Amino acid sequence: MRTRHPIAASLAVGGYVVMLVPILFVVVTAFTAGSTLRFPPDGFSLRWFEAALTYEPFTSSLLSSLMLAAISAVLALALGVPVALAVHRGALPGRSVVEGLFLSPLIVPELVVGLALYQQLMVGFGLDNFQTLLLGHTVLMFPYAVRVTGASLALIDPAVEDAARGLGASPGRTFLSVTLPLLRPGLFSAALLSFITSFNNVPLSLLLQSRDFRTLPVVMLDYVQQNYDPIVAAISVLILAGTVLVAVIAERTVGFARVFGGINR
Amino acid sequence: MTHAARFHGVSQVFGDFTAVDNIDLDIPDGKLTTLLGPSGCGKTTSLRMLAGYLAPTRGTISIAGVDSTRTPPERRNLGMVFQSYALFPHMSVADNVGFGLKMRRVPAADRARRVTESLELVGLAHLSASKPKKLSGGQQQRVALARAIAIRPKLLLLDEPLSNLDARLRIQMRAEIRRIQAETGLAVVLVTHDQDEALEMSDEMVLMKDGRIQQQGTPQAVFPAPANRFVAEFLGYENFLTDAGGATTTIRPEHLALSVSERTPAAETGAVLPGVVLDVAYRGVDVLVTVASADVSGARVELLADLRAESAPDLTPGADVWVHVPATHLVPLAAD
Repeated sequence: MRTRHPIAASLAVGGYVVMLVPILFVVVTAFTAGSTLRFPPDGFSLRWFEAALTYEPFTSSLLSSLMLAAISAVLALALGVPVALAVHRGALPGRSVVEGLFLSPLIVPELVVGLALYQQLMVGFGLDNFQTLLLGHTVLMFPYAVRVTGASLALIDPAVEDAARGLGASPGRTFLSVTLPLLRPGLFSAALLSFITSFNNVPLSLLLQSRDFRTLPVVMLDYVQQNYDPIVAAISVLILAGTVLVAVIAERTVGFARVFGGINR
Repeated sequence: MTHAARFHGVSQVFGDFTAVDNIDLDIPDGKLTTLLGPSGCGKTTSLRMLAGYLAPTRGTISIAGVDSTRTPPERRNLGMVFQSYALFPHMSVADNVGFGLKMRRVPAADRARRVTESLELVGLAHLSASKPKKLSGGQQQRVALARAIAIRPKLLLLDEPLSNLDARLRIQMRAEIRRIQAETGLAVVLVTHDQDEALEMSDEMVLMKDGRIQQQGTPQAVFPAPANRFVAEFLGYENFLTDAGGATTTIRPEHLALSVSERTPAAETGAVLPGVVLDVAYRGVDVLVTVASADVSGARVELLADLRAESAPDLTPGADVWVHVPATHLVPLAAD
């Protein structure tokens, strides 16, 4: 392994400590037997996990969040892959402008996007808040989909696609039998990134919530404003566990670096 | 003579750059034709137009007598080997070789037989289950060849096929490609920038520069009689002399002789020019001697003599020498 400069090394260690230690406190306090968020915890019990899993606002909003993240990730990919293809493979005039345009949602403040969607879609077109949130999340994730699949597309030798054409495959057949399989790690990582981005999103979900449809982060935020008990720590630990599980599966199946780099051997 | 392919008035213009400039070219059937020239000469662009990846800006390309200018690559039935080999990394060697047959809906049993045949032709039948990334560069090259041959193409197109191989393997693959060409009887078009490769492998060689064909013919016809200065320089003619009439002639370094006295060797007729040795490079088999001299027109020239080491006079920089230019080896050149 590369030797690091001592200052860089201590900064890196410091960074990890700042990021991970607070999480560790949350994890430990979730297992408390007492009824307040306190460190060190009073004894050990799983009662707050049981409470979190039976607290209806959490469970229903968790399902909402998962559904929203899954559908908008699929939508973002369905829109993002053709754009990535056009930018990287097509003879697009002014492609850097086009690429910049498609990445622009990354720099517009989400509250502004949220307000615009609220005015135009909910008030203007009368869409319900789920449809509006779905559109909003799709728009937010779209740059990730374009960027990550584009990065992975840039690594595919265009001669491979030419070779398929020369061997008798039509453009469509070439895409299905050569480009798409080689793009799979990129698609997987784009989907995962989009899913996580949507699942963690607060500003947009906060602005576009309604009594019928609220995401888990919004409900949690709401909850900690009124109460201060370990049930929030418990649901956080459950989400953390779910995320770790996804990461482990990603590592085992395609490899972590490849998933998050979208890189194909 | 029948033609495997024919370019008629073909140009390729990218913006304000003319990559290929109005070429007429016949690719003979059953022979190996090389397109030879420095980078940017239009050789790869010509090959890509022949394969169908680029539509000519002007002109027509016919394949086996049929105008194919607007035919997409998947309907040309040509086998192409790319410089990067372009194997499908997610498929086994056998699936790579069988891809073209699958696209042609060849039944599985026939397909397997023809894949094996093609792999046997390149000596890789034992690696059919491997993934391309497990193979060496030379083996990947052979798989790319087998994949192109398996579809029984009308023409085999090779784009700088040997440039990514190390020197020894490159020499070996030259013979290998010749053998495959002879066994299959295919018309082969090979793009290269290496004149040794072209001389050794070609039945027919086509020299290109700035999108134009400079000279075409068999190596035996082209090598001793370059048509112009570009071709001469590209084929290793180092010495350019202006004769009494003002025309340019050229002579190869190995045809010059040097002596310390004017009279020896006196066997051949031709010019004898006085000069001063600038540099001596001993190379084992031969010695390269650079001499500052003046030709019969009086112009200053630097001449390069390639002498056999055992018969070369003992020379050091600064020594006065006579350069013998035998008339029989002087090649007159047309203007570029």
